[in-house]
Amino acid sequence: MASEPATTLARDLAQEHRQVLEAQRGNLEAMRPILERYAAPLYSTVILPRLGDAASAEDVLRDTLATAVEKIQRFTWQGTSIYPWLRQIAINKVYDVHRQSKRSRRLADAMQHEVASASDPDSHADAQLIADEERRAHRDRIDETMQQLQDRYRLAIELRLVQELPRDACAKRLGVTIATFDVLLFRAVRAFRKRFGERAEPDPAGDPPGDTL
Amino acid sequence: MATTEPPERPEPEGDALTGPIPDPDAAPTAAELAHARRFAELVDKTLAGRAPPAISADDRALLEVATVIRATHGSASLAPSRQRQAIDQALRSPAAPGPASTREVPPRRRWRLAPWLVSGASGLVAAAAIALWLRAPAPVGPRRAAPPPEWTSRPADSLVGPIARDHAGDAGARIDALFADRLDGFRARRLARGGTP
Repeated sequence: MASEPATTLARDLAQEHRQVLEAQRGNLEAMRPILERYAAPLYSTVILPRLGDAASAEDVLRDTLATAVEKIQRFTWQGTSIYPWLRQIAINKVYDVHRQSKRSRRLADAMQHEVASASDPDSHADAQLIADEERRAHRDRIDETMQQLQDRYRLAIELRLVQELPRDACAKRLGVTIATFDVLLFRAVRAFRKRFGERAEPDPAGDPPGDTL
Repeated sequence: MATTEPPERPEPEGDALTGPIPDPDAAPTAAELAHARRFAELVDKTLAGRAPPAISADDRALLEVATVIRATHGSASLAPSRQRQAIDQALRSPAAPGPASTREVPPRRRWRLAPWLVSGASGLVAAAAIALWLRAPAPVGPRRAAPPPEWTSRPADSLVGPIARDHAGDAGARIDALFADRLDGFRARRLARGGTP
């Protein structure tokens, strides 16, 4: 007898399959629940961590969703969620942005790692699992870099960027003036970027990882 | 860490990304203090969701790192209204497949299709011209009667014939015969049109 989560997953997949088929028959509104379900994980775990700019990330999300709607006819259901397909579109769009704007690909390259569930065709992992796995991989990479920083730099980043405390509260916690805290945070982010970038192996071919669509 | 009276030293371009990073306790220069304050204000604005669009490349690179750290810890998400807007826009996208009669080609696609449209139209016009030429009916109406031979340009062999060696010097007689023949033709044509001989 199937367990409760497995039953739920199978039911969700079956519903998603029906929505995809309906969209492929021309009723694009059938895609709305799919887009509503996956827009948030695409933005927060796929696009924004690879771009680091909220405005550009929003543009890429719009572009990703529009491309998905436009190309839904080309999608072939293989018994797994549509999320890996959407994720790959988003990653390709991110690399397009890097190419067009000639921006450094440091972030995208640093966040380049395979998500096992997404890349395994036999995996029936649901989108939430894939997104969680990717989020965990990002966080591991960030934490790994944080561990290489000096304690005060690490603390400055944690207080201001992770806990999002106001500057004066951060300064108080560290026992320094606000101006000194500003310098600490500035140096901390510079140090983080330097260490983080050292992990990234630039791809001379300039192609995004994974399959292209 | 002391922050009083740092020595004045301008910060070189790109130094924020590639320059050496002092220890936490090292005294900052005035340039570093100013840059650190500027960066702190940028972080403030970014956390408030109103990052300025125009900032230096160095600051942008550092701000991107700060945003990635926040995003990875789940602190940066898209507002529900913005997400809904993105979905609505995607579903309304002119690029979305739909009934051909109601689908509008977006401007960028339109320009991209322009060369194909021009070459397709040219091909159609050329094909139509060839088809018309091949299927053109034979000229209809009364055929004009061929003019009599004496009205037309013709060889003189029938008049002169082979020239024997002993008549080689009679060129004048041959020319006279030719002239008389052509003059006959000319008169016949004039008479045929009602003219005077």
